[in-house]
Amino acid sequence: MQGKRVWQCGALVLGVLCLLMVSCRDEETQERMASIRIGISLYQGEDTFINNLCSLLEEKAKEFEQERGIKVILDIQDAKGSQNIQNDQVERFISLGCDVLCINPVDRMDASVMIDRAMTAGVPVVFFNRQPVEEDMNRWDRLYYVGVDAKETAILQGQMVVDLYREEPRAVDLNGDGVVSYVLLEGETSHQDSLIRTEWSVRTLKNGGVPIEKITGGIANWERSQASALMEEWLTDYPDMIELVVSNNDDMALGAIDAMERAGGHGMNVIGIDGTTPGLEALEKGKLLGTVSANKELYASVIVELAASCALGEGLPEGYPLEEGTYYWTPQEILIQTIKEN
Amino acid sequence: MISRRGKVLLFLYAIFLAALFLMCSTDWIIREPEKEVYQIAVIIDEDKSDNYTNFRKGMDQAAAELNADVHFITLYKKLDVEQQIGLMEREREDGADALIVIPVKEGQVVAETSAVPVTLLHPAPSNEAGGIVVDYRKMGERMAQEMQTDMPKGSTVLLLTASGKWGVADQLFLEGARETFGIGENVRQAVWKEGEAGFLAVLDGLGLQEGEKTAVLAQNPEVLSAAAGILAESQEVAGRILGLYGRGSTVQILNYLDRGQIRGVCVTDGFGIGYLSVCEAVRELEGNGKKEALVMDSYYIEKEDLREEFFERMLFPVE
Repeated sequence: MQGKRVWQCGALVLGVLCLLMVSCRDEETQERMASIRIGISLYQGEDTFINNLCSLLEEKAKEFEQERGIKVILDIQDAKGSQNIQNDQVERFISLGCDVLCINPVDRMDASVMIDRAMTAGVPVVFFNRQPVEEDMNRWDRLYYVGVDAKETAILQGQMVVDLYREEPRAVDLNGDGVVSYVLLEGETSHQDSLIRTEWSVRTLKNGGVPIEKITGGIANWERSQASALMEEWLTDYPDMIELVVSNNDDMALGAIDAMERAGGHGMNVIGIDGTTPGLEALEKGKLLGTVSANKELYASVIVELAASCALGEGLPEGYPLEEGTYYWTPQEILIQTIKEN
Repeated sequence: MISRRGKVLLFLYAIFLAALFLMCSTDWIIREPEKEVYQIAVIIDEDKSDNYTNFRKGMDQAAAELNADVHFITLYKKLDVEQQIGLMEREREDGADALIVIPVKEGQVVAETSAVPVTLLHPAPSNEAGGIVVDYRKMGERMAQEMQTDMPKGSTVLLLTASGKWGVADQLFLEGARETFGIGENVRQAVWKEGEAGFLAVLDGLGLQEGEKTAVLAQNPEVLSAAAGILAESQEVAGRILGLYGRGSTVQILNYLDRGQIRGVCVTDGFGIGYLSVCEAVRELEGNGKKEALVMDSYYIEKEDLREEFFERMLFPVE
């Protein structure tokens, strides 16, 4: 009898404790509602596209803050191309009490350390721009990815030349020999976008009936200066042969344009990807034939909204449906000097 | 069978282990000194952080060294004093231990500062103790002197001003330059207009004689970048300008300087200012009081100076 009473008392005490804990947790959530802290780590702050996106993230965070009346603290760090630095940054973000992390991974194959740390701390992660491998993404249901579909990007890049060729072949086949001779500027070899962009862009050109012939190609690691150096070399090695420069991004396309200008300005066509601010300026000035641009405003909005929802423990934002509950693909459009389409 | 002595020894050993565990893993016996993390909010006077890259690097460096948690806040609207005061209030309420403020209007901001230590970045020498001073009037004077040395005597100078609201730094820089150039027919002032056509319209408005060129002094980094961008693209504009000058040290400005579109710029040590402002805030938080305001030097540099070790370290700091 007495034993039963002891059990009953114990259960009562436990119940009261549980209630206390739940109410404390509610209070804590209420308190946390007033402000959220987002740790953002960039693979390379000097990358023009990332730089543009980062400015937009700051803007969107401010908009969110004004609309929802919830203070948003952004901790933005540049990993300077080092995965070790990025791992440390993730550690620091967690120890500073960030509610959510937005990571633009340095090495997409090596996101597991960051994921481990985030999982241990229970901090959700929104990856962006550089997609971690699927095995890593499947490890936890609080990992998300916001980016563009690299295959779609590449097809759009190829399609802009196909359309132009069909409309006016001489605008692409500049010397009228029935063959479009091109050079290719590729991004990092370890980046999935680089490989997919190259493969599908060229395949779209071929499938679209453009008679292409590759003169040469090189890896310029997304960088303007490296692309410029490569192009300078090609202009010397293949004088008056290059008709088209296919670049995996705008920065490298601009590097090629720089080299062409230094060499006295050639009339060849240059196409890029990203729609960065300098890329769009070059497009406006007629130096760049075209680019494929993701809707960067939307890109940044999704990252901020998704991160904020995670931090606040709300349901995922309804306006941005996630594929498999994890991936958001930002819509893209072709921007070309003569043709503009959505 | 363990002897009585053995049992006592075992008991003592267990006690010893328990004491060792308590000493190493808890605060019950040896209290580990608690290292306080200072919460510092930095509120600037602009809506974008583009001009503050080096400043932020310096700030982050000091934060890591001094155990501070620093977060950087831009305004929703550039030069909105009410909002800056509102944000200062918000940060105080949210538990910031100290504030670092680049004030939109120093007087108003100072009046609001009492509850927590505030480190101000003054745009002119101040009677207030503490803070960091960048003397923009003096910078304007220095700029004008350098231009006078650089340009042929009697050349026309165009002071190209920002089209929107001017910040205190913009105002003081322009005043310094204007006072040094003096009042004369060859010193003109015009508001910046976007694009090549806009720039040409501004130059046409000067009424210069055929073939006569003008030196241009941009009032702030935004105008300087925009004007340099036009110069890089337009032969027509470039052909009508003796040299473009201004202030600022963004990567874009330094690139234009390196490529020759900008003749000379006045720069300050942004990294140092960011670093020292956090140091100053922490100093005050640790109860060391305010020191005398620290006056930062500004320098005039041209293309060739970019490769000098001193400027290279200052303008492209490695964290």
